[in-house]
Amino acid sequence: MSVAESSPPSTSVALSLYRVMQIIRQTEEELARCHQRGLIHGACHTYVGEEAIATGVAAHLRPEDVVFSTHRGHGHALAKGMPPRELMAELFGRETGCSRGRGGSMHLFSPEIGMMGTSGIVGPCILQACGGGYSFKILKTDNVAVAFFGDGATNNGAFHEGLNMASIWNLPVLFICENNQYATEVPFSYAAGNTNVGERGPMYGMPSFTLDGNDVLEIHRVAGEAVERARSGEGPTLIECRTYRTRPHAEGMGDFGYRTREDVDSWKLKCPLVRLRQTVQEDDSPSLSAKFDAIDAEIAGVVKEAREFAEASPPPASETASNHVYAEPARAPAPPVPPATRSITMTQATQEALAEEMKVNPTIFVMGEGIGVRGGNFKTTAGLYELYGPERLCDTPICERGFVGLACGAGMTGTRPVIDFMFADFVLDSVGEIINQVAKMQYMSSGRLKMPVLLRGCIGIGHSAATHHSGNYYGMYAQVPGLRVVVPSNAADAKGLMKRALRCDDPVMFLEHREILTVKGPVPEGDYEIDFGKAAIARPGKDVTVVALARMVHLTLSVCDELEKAGISVEVVDPRTVSPLDVDTILKSVQKTGRLLVVDEAFGPCSIASEVAAHVADRGFNDLDAPIKRINGVFTPTPYSPSLEKAVVPNAEDIAQAIRDLVNE
Amino acid sequence: MTFEISIPRLGWSMEEGTFVRWLKKDGDTVKPGEPLFELEGEKAAQDIEAVDGGVLRIPATAPKPGTVVAVGSIIGYLLAAGESGPTAVAPASASRLEAVEPVVTEPAPPAAPSVRRMARELGVSLASLAGSGPAGRITASDLKPNVMTRPAAQVATSTVASPRARRVAKELGVSWDNIAGTGRNGRVREQDVRSASAKTAARQPQTHSTGHLAGTAIPLTRHRRTTADRMSYSSQHTAPVTLTTRVDATNLVSLRQQFKSAGGNVVPSYTDIIIKLVSMALAEHPLLTAQWVGEQLTIPAVTNIGLAVDTEAGLLVPVIGDVTSLSLTEVTIESTRLIELARQGKLKAADMQDGVFTVTNLGAFGIDAFTPIINSPETAILGLGRIRREPSVVDNQIVPRDQMSVSLTFDHRIVDGAPAARFLQTLSQALETPAAWLLRATV
Repeated sequence: MSVAESSPPSTSVALSLYRVMQIIRQTEEELARCHQRGLIHGACHTYVGEEAIATGVAAHLRPEDVVFSTHRGHGHALAKGMPPRELMAELFGRETGCSRGRGGSMHLFSPEIGMMGTSGIVGPCILQACGGGYSFKILKTDNVAVAFFGDGATNNGAFHEGLNMASIWNLPVLFICENNQYATEVPFSYAAGNTNVGERGPMYGMPSFTLDGNDVLEIHRVAGEAVERARSGEGPTLIECRTYRTRPHAEGMGDFGYRTREDVDSWKLKCPLVRLRQTVQEDDSPSLSAKFDAIDAEIAGVVKEAREFAEASPPPASETASNHVYAEPARAPAPPVPPATRSITMTQATQEALAEEMKVNPTIFVMGEGIGVRGGNFKTTAGLYELYGPERLCDTPICERGFVGLACGAGMTGTRPVIDFMFADFVLDSVGEIINQVAKMQYMSSGRLKMPVLLRGCIGIGHSAATHHSGNYYGMYAQVPGLRVVVPSNAADAKGLMKRALRCDDPVMFLEHREILTVKGPVPEGDYEIDFGKAAIARPGKDVTVVALARMVHLTLSVCDELEKAGISVEVVDPRTVSPLDVDTILKSVQKTGRLLVVDEAFGPCSIASEVAAHVADRGFNDLDAPIKRINGVFTPTPYSPSLEKAVVPNAEDIAQAIRDLVNE
Repeated sequence: MTFEISIPRLGWSMEEGTFVRWLKKDGDTVKPGEPLFELEGEKAAQDIEAVDGGVLRIPATAPKPGTVVAVGSIIGYLLAAGESGPTAVAPASASRLEAVEPVVTEPAPPAAPSVRRMARELGVSLASLAGSGPAGRITASDLKPNVMTRPAAQVATSTVASPRARRVAKELGVSWDNIAGTGRNGRVREQDVRSASAKTAARQPQTHSTGHLAGTAIPLTRHRRTTADRMSYSSQHTAPVTLTTRVDATNLVSLRQQFKSAGGNVVPSYTDIIIKLVSMALAEHPLLTAQWVGEQLTIPAVTNIGLAVDTEAGLLVPVIGDVTSLSLTEVTIESTRLIELARQGKLKAADMQDGVFTVTNLGAFGIDAFTPIINSPETAILGLGRIRREPSVVDNQIVPRDQMSVSLTFDHRIVDGAPAARFLQTLSQALETPAAWLLRATV
């Protein structure tokens, strides 16, 4: 698409753009000095040379429009309206910093002004901006979302997945590629088969531009049109801005191993601030010159004050280090579960919970492959498409990383996404989004962002599903602070836990064992919740405690009567959620029985089983009358052939024998 | 305006670097972005650019080429034209967080966890030992001299107990290390402790207070504790069976009367006579004296017989050495001496060692029969009841006869019921015809 000739900008627009660029420039230069003086504890990636881009785009944004950015994000934060003092205090690691000292240079958050965060990982901001755009669609506002990213991100899958999703759903998103020609220190000319990013938009079906990234007026004009298109429902735009950073990748790094001093010097001459001043001052008017000078002086004062403020600010108190991992404050326990009235399957129970919540909460939308018209591979969304339509029951392309990243951005901007993976194995492509983004967002924003995202999918071995449809991954997710991990074993629990998950402000990983989805059980009608971190005593007993999860609860219960006849009374504890894990209930049971067996289909190393064992060995040591035993799935990928498959899953006889052995220890 | 020139951090973790050289001279005019000095960080030397402009002032105290400099330290100044500037470098910016001094602790000598545990149990400080293993590692053999000096009582406690069993033992106030465990490899479990405790409680209800029963505490003597330990040990580590039989003691009473009537300094008591007769019966049934030596049952070469003596301090069992080689008179002299020493509290440990069989007599208290507890590590003990003149049937006539009960408790692990009964049979014959047996004695 060609760019029309620009009309001369008004002087006042030029001066305000200049002012923002000068705030960025002077703040960055002061930060570089502070870094040299050891005041900045971690990395410091400056935006010097690229100021025109953030400035030109952000000039069109309202506070409720949202920006998602990268590790080189100081300029975006400042252009979106963050005071320099908050940025400097953050880099100094102070309580008054924009992320309250939890983020530093690469994790700048100010959701109050639509600065939704910068990221130390290349790519996610593109997907999160799509999520912002999707939220605005669901919420029916005319807000827009902007992703700023470098040339390096265009070689990342997130770029492809994000642009495609924005295109097919016509999302109000601006994709701003700041092509500064190096991904860290790797030249874009080497890393890209086609170095023309601006040519790529039409392949995704969206307008696309290639601009001089040091020409703030041109960027301002083109971005203005793109924002207008987005607000009026005409969808996304890709804009490539070719520029150059004239300081090293990060302060303190050597700069001339991969580029020459001459190159850097030649780009310094193309300084966007000087260029704007020269363009506007063609008549060399002394009064205009004085206005520019006045801005320089004013900003110098602002930056000086900012540094003094940052240096005078206290560091955050050490005892607050783990505050804001979860949004949820301590809450009163959920009321008792009403009596069950009928028997339905686990899937019917969770569908019922989802349907009830979607009815009362219009911000809930579901995304996944085949969850729309089809109603879900496992009937998880059966009948909902007819009620709520394609926007709230959104079928996706096969791009797990893409739509999980989107869910993250959506959760940050006011909606409640439910991501239906079908099989939990599929989501491994998006684990970076889950662990680095979804789980950490509340913490990095010092609790000012909520992350009401429900991620659900099937786990478990059975029916020759083979190794890409059989994984149990809850142990891995339980190692991630910020996530809630639910592993229900029966229909009644599944409904109550699903209800809880759909009202929780924390991200929830809801993992349903495929082999028990159609097992019927008594389920109460209507509304009830089951708290996270509350284990159930699936069967009381006095000789041996068995902690079991999901399908293993059923297998364990199936041998208890026979053992009881043989004089062994088994107490079965079902934790129901593995993060948080109800260690107290397990300890209480072991206090009674003195013996513990953990039965878990998942692998043994670094698992929930080892976690339970470690807690009991520690806090329950003096209650143990026998060594702690574990039964886990065999440490191997899941084989296909039934004869092999059954060899890797714990069975009822294994469990019964382990209990008998434990009694004789 | 004066700008400080300070040492930047190159890379993530640099805390100090080597100042290589100035790239400008004192008095040069420096523009922002111009290379100012060379600094060597963790990876390589790098030209450091000026972030500010001005006239370079290198104070006399500035670091010389090759000096190690801390990040943040100020090495010079950029001055405005005409400014004089400081003559010496100031300390690093005050707000820079100071590096925390590492806490220096005495390094523990290397040793495997098992060796550390052994050392802890022995109360030996590893630092006091010289390691003979690789790199001075302390090995189990380095601890050996300490093992040898370990108190015998501790060596014996090799039993393993579950944490819960230890806790319950502590709560019940019983010691778990003498309890036979029923768990895997003899591990003592909660049920073992509870059943052992219940047995003890049933036997001696007043010995362990529940803590709720009001009363006067009896000071626990060392002797009482030893007896308690030995009795529990015996009851838990032997398989005791008691056989009781009635013997006709008329001839024994008559013989004793004859000794008394004969007068003299040495008058054998019933017990003395019986001890001598026991030694003779044991000679025919030596298995009753067998003892475990390691994993082996051994029959002792000499027949040392213990004699239970009631004293003010409690029960004592002095041992009469090699009864087989002693005459009845000698047995009498020895027993009299030992009983006297016992009553005076003057028995030495050696006087109570190496018994192979024990005789205990409660007849003086009017007891007919009882179940004595084996004096471990012996295999059997003989309890003597009172002698009483009773109507007895002899040749179809009721006649008065002296009767007596004897009770033999033996360890069924070592001796079966029949051989034990045969010993008792032999002994009964000896008791019923004591004069004939004593005549048969080789001494």
